[in-house]
Amino acid sequence: MEDLAAYVIDYARKRGATYMDVRAEEHYNELVIAMSGKIDKAMANRKRGVGIRVLANGAWGFRSTTNLTKDAVREAVDVAVKAAKASGEHIVKPVKLAPTKAHIDKYEVPVKLDIEGVSIGDKIEEVLEWEREIKVSDRIKRTRLSYHGIKINKLFMNSEGARIRFRNSLVWVIPRADAQLRGLAQFYDQCHGGSAGYELIREKDMAEFARETGQKAVSLVRAEAAKDVKNAKVVLDRDYMAILSHEITGHPSEADRVLGREAAWAGTTWWAGKIGEKVGSELLTVYDDPTIPRTLGYYLYDDEGVKAERKILIEKGVLKGHMHSRETAAIFGVEPNAGMRTITYEYIPLIRMSNTYVAPSDWKFDEMIGETKKGFLICGWREPSIDDKRFNWTISAHEAYEIRNGEVTTHLRDLALMSTAPTFFKSIDAVSKEWEIRPLPGCGKGDPTQGLYVGNGGACIRGVADIIARR
Amino acid sequence: MSVDIGERAQKVLDLATRFKADQAEAYAVSNRVFTVRLVNNAVFEAKGVLDRGVGIRVIKKDGLGFSSTSDMSDKALESATKAAIESAKRRKLPFKYSFAKPTKPSVAERIYDKRVAELAEDEAVHLAYSLVETALDYSKKVKDNAGVLNLVEYHITVLNSLGVDATDEGTMIEPSLTSTAESAGVAVEGADSHGYRMLDDLNTEAIGRKAAEMAVGGLRGEAIKEGEYTLILGPGPVAGVMRYADYLVSPMFARMYFPILLNKIGEKIGSEILSIYDAPTYPGGYRSARIDDEGVATEKTPIIENGVLKNFVYDTQYGSMERKKSTGNGIRYAFVTGTSIFPGKNYNLEPIPRLTNGLFAAGDSKRDEIIEDTKDGLLATRSHYTRITNPTRGDFTTVFRMGINRVKNGEIVGAVKKSRLYDNILSILRNVDMVGDDITSAGSWGDYALVPTIRISKARVVPVLK
Repeated sequence: MEDLAAYVIDYARKRGATYMDVRAEEHYNELVIAMSGKIDKAMANRKRGVGIRVLANGAWGFRSTTNLTKDAVREAVDVAVKAAKASGEHIVKPVKLAPTKAHIDKYEVPVKLDIEGVSIGDKIEEVLEWEREIKVSDRIKRTRLSYHGIKINKLFMNSEGARIRFRNSLVWVIPRADAQLRGLAQFYDQCHGGSAGYELIREKDMAEFARETGQKAVSLVRAEAAKDVKNAKVVLDRDYMAILSHEITGHPSEADRVLGREAAWAGTTWWAGKIGEKVGSELLTVYDDPTIPRTLGYYLYDDEGVKAERKILIEKGVLKGHMHSRETAAIFGVEPNAGMRTITYEYIPLIRMSNTYVAPSDWKFDEMIGETKKGFLICGWREPSIDDKRFNWTISAHEAYEIRNGEVTTHLRDLALMSTAPTFFKSIDAVSKEWEIRPLPGCGKGDPTQGLYVGNGGACIRGVADIIARR
Repeated sequence: MSVDIGERAQKVLDLATRFKADQAEAYAVSNRVFTVRLVNNAVFEAKGVLDRGVGIRVIKKDGLGFSSTSDMSDKALESATKAAIESAKRRKLPFKYSFAKPTKPSVAERIYDKRVAELAEDEAVHLAYSLVETALDYSKKVKDNAGVLNLVEYHITVLNSLGVDATDEGTMIEPSLTSTAESAGVAVEGADSHGYRMLDDLNTEAIGRKAAEMAVGGLRGEAIKEGEYTLILGPGPVAGVMRYADYLVSPMFARMYFPILLNKIGEKIGSEILSIYDAPTYPGGYRSARIDDEGVATEKTPIIENGVLKNFVYDTQYGSMERKKSTGNGIRYAFVTGTSIFPGKNYNLEPIPRLTNGLFAAGDSKRDEIIEDTKDGLLATRSHYTRITNPTRGDFTTVFRMGINRVKNGEIVGAVKKSRLYDNILSILRNVDMVGDDITSAGSWGDYALVPTIRISKARVVPVLK
């Protein structure tokens, strides 16, 4: 592959490209889904190909191909260069790339048990066994458990001399239970996963994880219906924090959104132009850090070959920075910070989250609840619905508990929180010491859409939001 | 594009026979996708995908196995076929299952346009940019445009050991534009998007103008009060609702996530004037096809007729599970993180039952008549982030980011600021009280349905911006 990538770079240069990079990749994906005691899907896919990105006439062109002959990659380069040159007729400013070192490196996710070291047949049996455990009661009407495993062997090379090899391995499991009681239906799901081999699955008591999911669903059909509460004091658990940090701190921090480049798709961001301004409580610090091992957002170099680092997005309530590509870094006049990712060689890289999370502070989680006179503990998440500027947000929760005089009391179901980002950020009055990156395997962005795996969450927080019942 | 996928599919069947599979199926694909992204009034990137591969399913005793590969070499096909057989040995089906038997492919007109297939990349770039030019020409208040033009050409071959030997081909065109207008420190968006099959259907000027007109018209928007409104939904938001209707009548998605309509066949679930069909041979429909992704001839299937739930849609697997015939709705739809989900055909996944082209049957009202008949209400023409927040009950929410207007005494009296709909999908279906005759292919991001303007007698809407 290295020879082919070098050939592509040489040929693209001859065709008039001023910059080019090549990602030569091999992917192995497997998926097993069991539903109500039966295997519904069991798939194993192999893909390999190259993605060729060029700059010509000041604009981007890209082409991928699964045909790895020299003739085919030459044709791919021709198409990419032709597309770039045509695009160059309709640009406002030519693309400039912020400089970065041309790294030569090789790294891999440490794996103790290769995903392919366990046969798909054995996984089918394990998935069935775990899925059966979800049905802890007759109240459970439907059960589902999915296992995903991904291996990626990637070579990145560019015309500046970078050459980076990365072997990635990711796994995750999602059990789900649907319970019913006298016409009231409720569901519960959760996710365990990260970047590792199959050992990450084996290390956890998956049967217990499945049973816990079932018990949660059953407990929800017995919970009380939530009521609307304006300006409720809310303590957010680690899973609710995962989606909150993702939707209202992660996405708006993508520099392409900030520049209006996602206006037609994901949207823009309310804090464009507010670097250096206070956007939240002093207690709020947010990072995006791809270098955290065993997380779904783990990598050491992005898909432009930039060395990864922890990015400071918000520090003590002040908006500090965004996630960048080399191109957006040049526009903002900052160092590139390794924000570019793709799911496969078939796609051009986009600015994406890695692990975006709220930094821990000095409250013990139990103290946050203990020192809440009247409030709610919000747990798990169902669906986010966010406006295009990531300003107004509504995120439904799996469940909540009323907090009275520091005690967790009544169990509540069917609620969402609603607020605006700046109002909520300013209301934060406690952030926990405990923190955790939770797996979030389904973040969509781009056109054509790329469904990517990320990590989110961090510390738990306490703030103020409206509770909306029965949504 | 040179296409040798038929020969490779036959190779898979030969291998499966050699490895003693009881039945085998090869789904071979060749995709060419070209995308021009428009950003900040300019072409941002032009990108293409050339993708070939094969999805392999085998039945061995009572087991079903699947694997896929993009490597079409003999060695890779052998390895993938073996992997499918190994999987089948361990994945036992608790019901009798067989791949599709041969059927005569249906007639689906206007689904392949040689002009799309042959459109040169530089021509596509210039064509895409004309979206921006039109919007900028519409008004000086239009300050920014972002959009996309996706062009797709695909060829598929489906072979199985029961004699299915079918091919299909298609082209797809997906234009969209979002314009931003600014005046007196206020910025408002407008948008238009479509899914077509033929180049003649693409009118970049009309799309650019509509997006710009919506943006400029929205500049005078007033905030509404939270409350129940008579709500007119244009084709865009109806397509958003149809996307979830699609999930509700897929036995797989219904069992996995959205059980709202399970066991409700024959029950009245919607208004008398509501009828929804799957219309896979609709001329020029975004996903219209002669065969489904298992080689079964496509056919029109009533889903809801006069408010009564008539059918779910089936592929061969869910058909066998529920002792029903496939309705020709085995679709290789990417619902899995980490797999390719660009437009075109997907060999990386097993078929699942899904609507091909959701068709919300036309009513007899003109769009203007619906507005004239509305004393006090809202007209929403775009929706974003439609989400079912309670999948077991059907509560859902969507954001009307743009293109929302106040209607009073039968007239559009002005634009409304961003608002959010909170309701329940079954309530929406029950409360449809007028249906337009203006069927169009609406939607976004690869999800399109054939839908008219409709009116909902009451729905809860809250302001996003006050």
